[in-house]
Amino acid sequence: MRRLLPLCALVLAAGCAGMIAGRALGPAGVWEVLHGGGSPLDRHIVLELRLPRTLVALTAGACLGVAGIVLQSALANPLAGPEVTGVAPGAVLGAVLASGAGLAGWRSPGAVVVAAVVGGFAGAGLLWLLAGRERADPLGAAVYGVLVSAVLSGATAMVLLAAPGELGSVVQWLVGSTEGRVMDHWNLLWPWALCWLLAAWALAAPLTLLRCGDDEAAARGLSTGRLRLAALGCAVALTAGAVATVGALGFVGLLVPHLAFALYGADLRTALPGAALTGAAVVGGADAAAQALSRLLTDVLDADRLSVPTGALTTCAGAALLLIVARRIREEETSA
Amino acid sequence: MSGRTVLAAGVLTAAVCGGLALGTPPVPPAEFAEAFVVTELRLPRLVLALIAGACLGAAGLVLQEALRNPLAVPELLGVSSGAALAVAGPLVLAVSVPLAVQPFLAIGGAAAGGALTLLAAGAARGPSAVLLCGAAVAAGLQSALLVLMVLADQLDLQLIHRYLLGSLSARTWDDVTELTPWLVAAVPALVLCAPVLSVLRLGDDDARALGVRVHRARTAALAVAVVLIAPVVAVCGPVAWVGFLAPQLARRLAPGKDAVGWLPWSAVWGALIVAWADLPARLALAPVETPVGAWTALLGVPAGVLLLKRPPGRARSKARLPGTDGVPGTGGARYGPDGIPRSRRGGAG
Repeated sequence: MRRLLPLCALVLAAGCAGMIAGRALGPAGVWEVLHGGGSPLDRHIVLELRLPRTLVALTAGACLGVAGIVLQSALANPLAGPEVTGVAPGAVLGAVLASGAGLAGWRSPGAVVVAAVVGGFAGAGLLWLLAGRERADPLGAAVYGVLVSAVLSGATAMVLLAAPGELGSVVQWLVGSTEGRVMDHWNLLWPWALCWLLAAWALAAPLTLLRCGDDEAAARGLSTGRLRLAALGCAVALTAGAVATVGALGFVGLLVPHLAFALYGADLRTALPGAALTGAAVVGGADAAAQALSRLLTDVLDADRLSVPTGALTTCAGAALLLIVARRIREEETSA
Repeated sequence: MSGRTVLAAGVLTAAVCGGLALGTPPVPPAEFAEAFVVTELRLPRLVLALIAGACLGAAGLVLQEALRNPLAVPELLGVSSGAALAVAGPLVLAVSVPLAVQPFLAIGGAAAGGALTLLAAGAARGPSAVLLCGAAVAAGLQSALLVLMVLADQLDLQLIHRYLLGSLSARTWDDVTELTPWLVAAVPALVLCAPVLSVLRLGDDDARALGVRVHRARTAALAVAVVLIAPVVAVCGPVAWVGFLAPQLARRLAPGKDAVGWLPWSAVWGALIVAWADLPARLALAPVETPVGAWTALLGVPAGVLLLKRPPGRARSKARLPGTDGVPGTGGARYGPDGIPRSRRGGAG
């Protein structure tokens, strides 16, 4: 557990950076508000806008990181991020459908969560049905996952064409953005996240066994099918919650688990909280960086509608990481 | 052989007749030559659909064979994202572009995206490393595009969205002529690189033993694919998943052949897929046109899944011999993420 402490500090640092990185108020102003002072406007900015935004970013990051690590362990597949198992695209489709049909909107985040959860489960169920007998084959399952994701994004695109008015507000979702998240979002996200993060934590030990291989796990008396189903449900719920509040943040669910495994080894009892903290630190950091970058660009370009979405930054970071991974593959292949 | 040809010819005739006759107003086949709507609107569109599909299908096969991965699709090369970025950038940032430069914008962007991938892939050896590099470049460009989309206002956004899905609406003979010089350059390159592909399929070590400079051959194949995809993306936008589906169809309908045999068929099936998908794109929501790319994704991908799911014959022992099997599904399962052959993991075992 002591090895998790540096990451806790990092998450805290990311949170603080998110609090002070905004446009309207400097660090001194934030400090004053936190001590009970400041003008009403400053108090509103810090407590009603920045605080929930930062909290939502950290929690959503933790959710995506854990969802990724649970998915990758359950499917024995290092490629199984929420983006390529149909979970995240399904959740996006659900949210888009619901708001396109007028059932939910930016003003009623509760309905969006429900729609995203239903969509996420539908996406995962579709993959489960399609993969059929090849569920245990990592690459085969990844192939089907990419296909299911493609179908779902195609469907999302069709819905957006049918209801073009929604496009502007929905694009934020497709990218993943923490812009304008308020206390309502936070109040919805945290009970959901807490509940499912605890469920994931309870699954950590059996999932570690499952990583050793199906035969091994079955020999120790584990019912692998049921465990896999529970893990999938947990991952879907976590992803859907995160997607409903901040949208599909690219690459977080795919790459954070790799970072966590690299840092904490294959034992999920430490790697799982590690993934939660890493995810929170990554998304929190990206959120702070996005705010700082928007501020910088606004000053430089003298335009006021510029705001860099957090998802763009996580995607860029993920792309850079992928390039590094690709280089590592080369080294392994030449040595082999 | 003849069965396949008859099938393709039948599907082609149906697509051509349907594409030219249906719509508002409907034109009976006897009056095709006179009707303005046919000669100036529907015919160029159909020709464009066929060319685009053929290019994407052939490029898909080149990529899948060169990278030995059924998921190596043109979308993962950074080509389409580069083109989209080049189209969206001036639009959103309200930069005025001289009229003469505009047609080259998308082609330039596509070529730049492809060049970036080639550059990034230059450091990588091994098929899956190349694939990962392409995915990384595509993702990076995509995120830049998303930033632009967040900045864009509603009208620009719809334009970009439509383009991103791949659309054939309002294309004329000018667009077709724009494509021709690229095709003239691409086809000979394609023919030259085809034999190397069947050697690359054997795996890096075997190919090297046969005297092929694997890395160079793979880079050349990538470059050919870029030249095929870039102009199509520039004119029609990235029509999704044709490059995935067409090679699957070609392999399934002609098992027992190699890359040289599959290449023309892959182009044929690609052309047919796009021509067919353009029918619902024009007709489904009648006065409103839907982008053809949305239909290829919606209908094409389930079809591809079915093809992957039921490989002809299911001959496991045969799947051990690379080059002799036409089974894309097991082709994916036979190799690990690093391109090294692996034995199938037991299902319930």
